[in-house]
Amino acid sequence: MIEESSGAARLEQLPPRPAAGLPLPGAEVRVGAGAGRVLRLLIRVCGLTVLGGFAALIIGVGTLLLGPFLVEWLDQPGFEAWRTVLVAVAIQGMPFLLLGTVVSAAISAFVPARLLTRVLPANPVLAVPVAGAAGALLPGCECASVPVAAGLMRRGVAPAAALAFLLSAPAINPVVLVATSIAFPGRPEMVLARLLASLGASLAMGWLWLRLGRPEWLRLPPSPADDAEPGHRWDTFLSTLRHDFLHAGGFMVAGAAAAATFNIAVPPSLLQLFSAHPWLSVPLLGALAVVLSICSEADAFVAASLSGFSMTARLAFVVVGPTVDLKLIALQAGTFGWAFAARFSAATFVIGVLCSAVVGGWLL
Amino acid sequence: MRGLLRRHGSALLLTAVGAALLRISLFSELYLRYVKEGLRPLLVIAGVVLVLLGLSALLPHRRPRREHRPDPGHTHTHGGARPHRGPRSAWLLAVPALLLLLAAPPALGSFIVARDGSGTIARQVDFPRLPPHGTLSLSLSEFAARAVWDPAESLRSRTVRLTGFVTPGGAGSWRLSRIIVSCCAADARAVAVTVHGPAAPPDNTWVVVTGSWDPGSTAPTLDVTALRVVPAPKNPYRDLPPAG
Repeated sequence: MIEESSGAARLEQLPPRPAAGLPLPGAEVRVGAGAGRVLRLLIRVCGLTVLGGFAALIIGVGTLLLGPFLVEWLDQPGFEAWRTVLVAVAIQGMPFLLLGTVVSAAISAFVPARLLTRVLPANPVLAVPVAGAAGALLPGCECASVPVAAGLMRRGVAPAAALAFLLSAPAINPVVLVATSIAFPGRPEMVLARLLASLGASLAMGWLWLRLGRPEWLRLPPSPADDAEPGHRWDTFLSTLRHDFLHAGGFMVAGAAAAATFNIAVPPSLLQLFSAHPWLSVPLLGALAVVLSICSEADAFVAASLSGFSMTARLAFVVVGPTVDLKLIALQAGTFGWAFAARFSAATFVIGVLCSAVVGGWLL
Repeated sequence: MRGLLRRHGSALLLTAVGAALLRISLFSELYLRYVKEGLRPLLVIAGVVLVLLGLSALLPHRRPRREHRPDPGHTHTHGGARPHRGPRSAWLLAVPALLLLLAAPPALGSFIVARDGSGTIARQVDFPRLPPHGTLSLSLSEFAARAVWDPAESLRSRTVRLTGFVTPGGAGSWRLSRIIVSCCAADARAVAVTVHGPAAPPDNTWVVVTGSWDPGSTAPTLDVTALRVVPAPKNPYRDLPPAG
């Protein structure tokens, strides 16, 4: 419960209540009411004392009995590794999430809405490819793209175009493409395949949203900048930034915890069982990318190490990973709501796997 | 206390997250347990910005107009019943912040290697020439790749020096391992070399071993003649050859 507004402002909104000590008409009524109130208060105090005592007792005994086990459990190497991975995913994403929220808050506070609508084609069908290609301009991992897409939508950019940007930015930016070429030395076709499949999936999702998307699925965070006055722009910028970062950050930690759980619990050797099935392995590696939530700058190295799998399956790993993973689903749910995140992630997964299969079958 | 948290919760959280980032990146090198080396400047900048952002929330500021006026179009509120309240989910940020400030989790070790199981060695075709004489100081990845893939068997009858940490292995042997990270600890990959010879030091102890390649086994294997316990390297995830 973090509060940006002051307590005083909130109190003013409460409905007026009768003051406690006012004389009421009728002496009996007043005595009865007073006694009743005292009785209720006494019962409440007793109840709370008993409940609190029980709770304290249970916690005390529990700590005494379970304490040694708890300490042992905390020291388990599996749990230790879980904490390390959780912290690692969270702090790796932190600078990029901050960058994304700074850009988003700056768009909200300082960029006039007219500018964005003038840069993008008015026809959303054409705005989708322009926004998708613009994704190449935002270097960094996927954590940055969600708040930026939200900022663009708040500023009047068509949701389909902002979503195409959201999907393409982490997948096709130069840093990621260079990392891919280093991870797959002597195989430049992998870089091209990644670029084409990711861009194709982003544009397909943008157009799909135009065709099937419903505005009520998309719950946009309120725009504090709607009525920003020139003198208040910095205040607006700072309060938007604080709010957006905290909001998205909490969800990112939840996603990091889920990713760490899978990371520790799923042994990679289990996967080798499926590497023999050429068609099953493509969606399987896509699903692996979802649960592992590896950032897009590093996923190519992991894909390169999955040596038992076909190149098309590994392409699915790097195409799906930057667009759907547990961390991103959590971030999208926090920013746009669960109704959106569930539908959008499921559709993106299917489209991502299909694009990988088509491009992989053609190029690899 | 509750009122304090309510009013200054955002300031507290932002400052704590920022301080945690600064603690691991600016005031120590703990960040190397979690992410790649190149991320340090970004972590420092993010830490400074977050601390300043948290402090700025404490300053009295002119309230933007919207706070005084109900927002008619919005059915959405963040997690709570009242508008403009920060999200409750934000408190999850306290988990990594407190962990980093109070009990920074250790670097990944033999648990991850054991979990990784087979530890397949990525295929390599091009092997640069090794120096013709003397003891070879090799990184664990290079040793493993040459042992498995080199058609010229460049390791045959050479003395090799390797470094890594101890991981339990099968009967009568143990494994010398390294964990390699490209971006953050979530993408950790393990490299392991089976060691025959001296008894295993405790798990996760860093050692430098000297010995010779055993061409008879399919997994990369070293018959060790000398072992020395060394302090853990500054960056545990960079697979460098042993110094000296």
